Amino acid sequence: MNLAEGVQLVSFIILTVMMLGAALAVVLSPNIVYSAFLLGGVFSAMAGLYLLLNASFVAAAQILVYVGAINVLILFAIMLVNKREDFAPVKYAWTRKIVTAAVCGGLFLLLGTTIITTPWAIDSTAAAGDEAIYILGEHFFTDFLLPFELVSVLLLMALIGAIVLARRDIIPDSSNVVGQDDLKLPEKPRELVSAGADGESS
Amino acid sequence: MFVLSGYEYLLGFIFVASLVPVLALTASWLLRPAPSGPERRTTYESGMEPIGGAWIQFNIRYYMFALVFVIFDVETVFLYPWAVAFNRLGLLAFVEALIFIGILVVGLAYAWRKGALEWS
Repeated sequence: MNLAEGVQLVSFIILTVMMLGAALAVVLSPNIVYSAFLLGGVFSAMAGLYLLLNASFVAAAQILVYVGAINVLILFAIMLVNKREDFAPVKYAWTRKIVTAAVCGGLFLLLGTTIITTPWAIDSTAAAGDEAIYILGEHFFTDFLLPFELVSVLLLMALIGAIVLARRDIIPDSSNVVGQDDLKLPEKPRELVSAGADGESS
Repeated sequence: MFVLSGYEYLLGFIFVASLVPVLALTASWLLRPAPSGPERRTTYESGMEPIGGAWIQFNIRYYMFALVFVIFDVETVFLYPWAVAFNRLGLLAFVEALIFIGILVVGLAYAWRKGALEWS
């Protein structure tokens, strides 16, 4: 084993330990905000594993999309619903735990058998490595041009759909206007009043 | 078999970057006087007193910024191979990328018109 292979092995071990530890902490952490940040750690470690597998573009996409965007979206979603409420404990909570454990264990067994039974040997052609991203770019603008342009239409649809769906919630109905007691920041009532005026005029 | 080149620098950067917080916290732990008094436990020492809790519910409209950001982040991923292979692809690819961006600028204009990008 030469130096490069040793570094690779150590990196793999560190990344795997980091990923498994962070993933376990995501599940076990009682604080959902910590879970969301640790999920970013899981995604980052996954990007490192992609790099070790010579997939630099996938690693970059993983960092850009999952760590940069999806995780931020998850955090925003948590902050939107993050109200401290006194939830009453559910009766028969242990049955739910058993069902959850059965579903998760079954999924684990299914994925495990798939991993064991799948022949993972790839053909002996060398990995593209540094060339991969050039090859991807050339494919994007020659034989995969139509899907590439359709992706932008798909993104446009997603953007407009997201705006339409998200804007609907800003306009306060008479039924779900937030009471004064729920507001903690001094500027919040002013925002809601202005949003309501916008919604009625447009 | 690892075939990507230039990643030894990344490894070096990760090593140095992981040393920075350890060294900074250790140095300040060695240099600072022993903590005393309730003032040390405030959020901003000799600053403004924070009002209310830090864990508040965010307004739904901030979620829209995150949504728009995700869309344009995915766009970046698709433009990344084009930017890297720009010299090899030529003029036609440039026009095609302009069409790609143009379609998404329509979405940006829509978001702008609908006031999705306003903080107010």
